[in-house]
Amino acid sequence: MRRRRKGSVVTEILTWVVVVIAILWVLFPFYWTVITSFKKPADVFRLSSIPWLQFTPTLSNWQTEFTQRGPEILRGITNSIIIAVFASLLAVALGTLAGYGLARYRYVKWRNQSMAFWFLSQRFLPPAATVIPFFLLMKSLGLLDTRVALILVNTTFAMPFAVLIMKDMFRELPVELEEAALVDGCSRWEAFLRIALPLAAPALVATVIICFSFAWNEFLFALVLTYKKATPMTIIIAGTEHTQGVQFWYVSTRLLLAILPPTLLALTVQRYIVRGLTMGAVKG
Amino acid sequence: MRRRLREKGNAFVIPAIFWVLTFTIFPLVYSFRVSLSKVLYGKLAGFAGASNYLRMFGDYRFWGTLRFTLILVLISVCATTAIGLGLAVVFNRKMKGLRVFRSILTMPLFTAPVALGYLGVMMFYEENGPINVLLKYLGMGKVPWLSHPLWATLAICLVDIWQWTPFAFIILLAGLQSISDEIYEAAVIDTSSGWAIFRHITLPLLSPVLGTVIMLRMVDAFKAFDIPFSLTSGGPGTATRTLTFYIYTQGLRNFDLGYASAMAYFLLAITMVIGLLFFRRYRELYE
Repeated sequence: MRRRRKGSVVTEILTWVVVVIAILWVLFPFYWTVITSFKKPADVFRLSSIPWLQFTPTLSNWQTEFTQRGPEILRGITNSIIIAVFASLLAVALGTLAGYGLARYRYVKWRNQSMAFWFLSQRFLPPAATVIPFFLLMKSLGLLDTRVALILVNTTFAMPFAVLIMKDMFRELPVELEEAALVDGCSRWEAFLRIALPLAAPALVATVIICFSFAWNEFLFALVLTYKKATPMTIIIAGTEHTQGVQFWYVSTRLLLAILPPTLLALTVQRYIVRGLTMGAVKG
Repeated sequence: MRRRLREKGNAFVIPAIFWVLTFTIFPLVYSFRVSLSKVLYGKLAGFAGASNYLRMFGDYRFWGTLRFTLILVLISVCATTAIGLGLAVVFNRKMKGLRVFRSILTMPLFTAPVALGYLGVMMFYEENGPINVLLKYLGMGKVPWLSHPLWATLAICLVDIWQWTPFAFIILLAGLQSISDEIYEAAVIDTSSGWAIFRHITLPLLSPVLGTVIMLRMVDAFKAFDIPFSLTSGGPGTATRTLTFYIYTQGLRNFDLGYASAMAYFLLAITMVIGLLFFRRYRELYE
């Protein structure tokens, strides 16, 4: 292990100072949003940060939100869940098949590497480059303001990611198990479904969760393709400011509803995050 | 060499390829056609040649957004990589609770950027927002975070840095952890300077991972839209509009579809150059 020999107590203390600062730096905005959502308006601008000591927490913001704007928020959450669930499942289904193909077969005509690069290049594609044609396409198909449109979009963005991650995962499984299954009379398809897929299940779940977060957080296409019926949470919070000015006590409740699901889900997939974020270029 | 099964596996890859062709390549081709067209009332009205592309050169607002985008890319990429590297070096040791800290530090990555923008509106609020109060305690006057172009630029950079430093951090930490201890043990015999070891051993071995981080961060910074949209709405004035923001405004608010598509192709060209560099460097990983 890399240990500095000199001044080990000092380095130990310095390390912990850095760690504590980093953690506070990350957690403070979340903390601030949580306490703001439990503050009375007067306390928001009096700047108080410790509940019970500096201000009396109240549930009234949450109650007002859910009674007055309940249907809108419920619709936003429902839309976000439906869009993110279907998009991530579809993306991972397509991605798992292609990832398995790339890991186990040698393609002569297109070459595996070219195909992998083709999928990788989607990661470098700016959403702005496809948002205008997508808008025109959805308009002509009559799919504007539908969840279907956003499911298609988010599947498109998440799928190349799923392909490359699953390709890596299948590469790491021993091919012998599948070969043995083939010898025993399984078809290729059965070997994939019965042997490879169950072994890759943890990675599969992690990929679904990461794709779910991407889809949940997507904003540009949701802004362009939806306006009323199909608006997800990211649009609901964006609509807040114009109607409510600086009513941070309400804004913060909605921010929390939009932020928490993917942020908490992501805590469960730590093992796969490094690979996920680099499209398999760095093994974590 | 990994063994590969011999039969034809086209059935596995065709659905995904078909999907990308339909929902990425076809829209891109269509978009190229739009970028070469005159557009009237949101409808294509005849061939316009390269005029939409040439228009970019004379459009001062385009240059303004390009300048802001480049500033954001420069500041955000440098800051996230430097801070991330520093944190990774600190965290690269055996310590209690490391995994918990690492997990907490990854939380910003999965927070919707648009939500972070509105969170930023709360944090940077000029009258008694938490950041200005803190600065007041430190003896600074009221900082016009969202109403002055320079400060607004800084505010957007800060939110972006807050969100993406963990990205650099966890990837670089993974890179550091993959460097074997024996190399360090050998190095300790030759020198006692921690800096020399970092400069001549850690950094060269880490450089491929560092390259990955910088390239991916650059691409994401070039794509920035959500945070400027929500934090400053591109303001004050148009001081903090990114390229994507301008494309969105021109194309989908003013319905100047041809011009917006041309600019989108310009942005695409930038990110694809980065993509090609990335692939050339890591070709063997995708074999």
